[in-house]
Amino acid sequence: MSIQLSDVRKSFTNDLVLDGVSLDIPTGETLVLFGPSGAGKTVLLRLIAGVIDPDGGRIIVNGADMEGVVPEDRGIGMAFQNFALFPHMDAHANIASPLTARRETRSGIKARVKEVATLLKIDHVLAHRPMELSNGQKQRTALGRALAAEPSILLLDDPLRNVDAKLRFEMRLELPRLLKEQNATVIFVTQDYKEAMALGDRIAVMGDSGIVQIGTPEEIYLRPSSTRIARLFGDPTINLLDVVPEIGAHGPIIQLSGREIAISGSYAGAVGQACSLGIRPEAIHFVEPGAPGAFPVEIEAETPLNEKTVTLAATRNNREILVSRPSGAPGPDRGSAHVAFDMGNALLFDLATGARMIGTDAPANEMSK
Amino acid sequence: MDQTSTLEKVLRRVAISLVILFFMFPIFWIVLMSFQTNETILRVPPSIVFEPTLSNYVALITGRLETQAGTLEVNFMSNLWNSLFLSAGSVAVGLILGIPAAYAFGRIKFRGSEDIAFTLLSFRFAPPLLVLLPLTIYFQKIGLADTYFGLIWVYQLIVLPLILWIVRGYFEDIPADIEYAYRIAGHSWFSTFRKVALPLAMPGIAAAGLLAFIFAWNNFIFALVLASADKQPVTVGALAFVTASGIQYGQVAAGIVLSILPTLALALYAQRYLVEGLSLGAVKG
Amino acid sequence: MSDAVVPAKRKGFRISPGALPYVLSLPALLVCIGILVPFFTAVAYSLQRYRLSQPWARRWNWGENYWNFLSDNSFWNTLQVSLTYAILTVGLELVLGLCIALLLQKRTRFNNFVSIMLLMPLMTAPALASLMWKLMTNPGFGILSYFASLIGLEDFRWASDPSTAMLTVVLVDMWVYTPFIMILLLAGLRSLPKQPFEAAALDGVPRLFVFWRITLPMLTPYLLTATLFRAIESVQQFDIIYAMTQGGPGDKLTVFQVEAYLNFFQSTNVGRSAALLMILWVITYVLSMIFIKQWLKLRERQRGEA
Repeated sequence: MSIQLSDVRKSFTNDLVLDGVSLDIPTGETLVLFGPSGAGKTVLLRLIAGVIDPDGGRIIVNGADMEGVVPEDRGIGMAFQNFALFPHMDAHANIASPLTARRETRSGIKARVKEVATLLKIDHVLAHRPMELSNGQKQRTALGRALAAEPSILLLDDPLRNVDAKLRFEMRLELPRLLKEQNATVIFVTQDYKEAMALGDRIAVMGDSGIVQIGTPEEIYLRPSSTRIARLFGDPTINLLDVVPEIGAHGPIIQLSGREIAISGSYAGAVGQACSLGIRPEAIHFVEPGAPGAFPVEIEAETPLNEKTVTLAATRNNREILVSRPSGAPGPDRGSAHVAFDMGNALLFDLATGARMIGTDAPANEMSK
Repeated sequence: MDQTSTLEKVLRRVAISLVILFFMFPIFWIVLMSFQTNETILRVPPSIVFEPTLSNYVALITGRLETQAGTLEVNFMSNLWNSLFLSAGSVAVGLILGIPAAYAFGRIKFRGSEDIAFTLLSFRFAPPLLVLLPLTIYFQKIGLADTYFGLIWVYQLIVLPLILWIVRGYFEDIPADIEYAYRIAGHSWFSTFRKVALPLAMPGIAAAGLLAFIFAWNNFIFALVLASADKQPVTVGALAFVTASGIQYGQVAAGIVLSILPTLALALYAQRYLVEGLSLGAVKG
Repeated sequence: MSDAVVPAKRKGFRISPGALPYVLSLPALLVCIGILVPFFTAVAYSLQRYRLSQPWARRWNWGENYWNFLSDNSFWNTLQVSLTYAILTVGLELVLGLCIALLLQKRTRFNNFVSIMLLMPLMTAPALASLMWKLMTNPGFGILSYFASLIGLEDFRWASDPSTAMLTVVLVDMWVYTPFIMILLLAGLRSLPKQPFEAAALDGVPRLFVFWRITLPMLTPYLLTATLFRAIESVQQFDIIYAMTQGGPGDKLTVFQVEAYLNFFQSTNVGRSAALLMILWVITYVLSMIFIKQWLKLRERQRGEA
């Protein structure tokens, strides 16, 4: 089932939450709504589910306008951030609730609940009330309830938010398979960029009462449309260096650590403007002093993380940059060193507005995590 | 608090004892009186030593009062019955009317809902006679005077705001997501109301119902103005009884005991909710 | 995906979501309109010369009923008696209720048991409570009259004596309603945060100082709520006074509602009765507006903590 939103608006007593949101989600896609809290992600889900009504705009599900269609008729499955389990019903009744509404046979309901519960590994706690369930079991029950009726549209409102780190990690691995098996159109809300990148066919980044960028995880990661979005994705965060492109011998250049570094010719238009050079830590490499584009830095600190080592280095004019390399890869841990930027993955943003400068070539390299 | 002096401990005990004495003695004394004949009641000085008799209760229950002047018919039991019927009827009507309204005010929040809710609440605080006096004249005209129906209607003045405001708080406390979840699962708002909201608000509904029953039972002024002898509840009936039976003090005491017993029993049963109910949901006990 | 339900508007009768709350609250509202009508009738009565005994002489006299109050001693007596009653009962109940709440503050089994026992007077119908006290203050056999004589007050006549009638009904009111204030303040006291008290105890701050500077200010919302609630009810007290003395002796206890009741049913002066009630209504309305604000604040606070 496809979902189309056009110019959907919603405000709550003078507080404009959604200002003309348009979205087109084809059947079977998993779209991640990503953004800080208060960006209107949950409101958008509720509008689609029909529990609140938009002030304006149209919500179309599989070609049918949803205006005036009550939530129970929309054939949607939804899981809530706080689980929203029915406290007075056991897990079985919770999961069965979408099935009882359809007046299915008792044995049919029982079989289906058992099936879903087994899939989610909670078949041993079906007789328990929510109060007696662990957080992880609650979350799985809530998910089971959303999946039970095999809805063609699944709205998942940050379902992993309130579970512990270990469980979140497990579910992040498990969920994509689960969702694909459902063959449903999924909207998944999260505030965790890793979750967004792992689960989304596309990611819609929300902010400022609307969607600020929409694209595949690669697009969002490699070509964020503004410094703000660039900073939301990636850990450690992207390096942003104030630069003013100049005309060099062979095209536009920037000055870094007393060296001239060539930037893509398509940025010629940016010459003389105050810019922000965005470069992800993993696109900076330690190199030999003579290598092309190499410039000297002083190592200030090194932090070994699980899969990577992050180095904080300072350029000659005391600009700090973060360099990331896979764990085990050789690199200096103190003193002076030389680094080179992988300029194919560098981005230029307007310093004043934060918007990415148009004219960039598509970054050549594969995305690296 | 552990290093309190012995003197303070003694003072505290004395104070608590005095408090218990002041508040419990009248009930204790009236209960004692109800088991006495006029003879022992009129002894000077009074004494708590007497031979208990059930004759007062027997007289009230059989409806025959033996006096020096002869046998007197009393319909005190019908007063009790009236109290029961009026209170239970009012609470039933109040719940039927009040629960949906409480749900509308507490959950749906619509234009003007706060204003209406407060208007209803302000009824609770208006002088009852202000409404009752014109109502006597209206009730005469439309034939509602001295009917159970008319009385139960007027009793809504105390029952309805109470139920509305307590139950509303309970509906508000149910997370909206829980109801949304049930709707999205495919159930109509009515079945959501019935299967989710109602069960979750049930403690509040029970508390409001019990309290409303107590308040209706204890009400005096409505029935005094609007009911004639055969529809009177115990509060009004007991007052008339005092004048009718004149000097049968034992029976008056027994009547009072029978009249306050149901509310006291209910109060003990519902005491967990009393604080909340008495403050119309503002203070949780 | 199994059989996909194509979203479609269901057929048949449905209440539109926008109308739903109105539909739900309509029955309750209709019942209340039945109550609003007599209210406006009362307003009209108060502007009329209207005696049940002389229906032919009924006419609008606009503000005359109110105007007459200015030079009407019995009106000023009513006002004075009502306010005296309200101030005495609320003041005394507040002090006594607070003292009892402080005594029972600690959550022990005994204290909880006592606080539940003290609810019994509150659950007694005020009219019946009056009767109980009437029996106890009977000059012939009343136990309280006997006690009075023991301490040298021979022939102490309680409610039948003009000089002690007020005292007697105030006593009954205190008996019934002090537990109300006590139970609210007890709930308030027990919900106060512990840290300030622990800190003060550690610093050896005198207990009286703690009471005035910490306990009382923190308890203020509860005190205000309880006071206003009781003031609204007390200024329109009817049951206790009517059941005890019907306003007597003389006009000693003719508070607003008793006076209005007597005006209506005995002197059949509907106009004056309605005007009296309107004035009482204004007083209670002002009080209840303050009360509702205070009450909302408290409710908000309790919900915030929950």
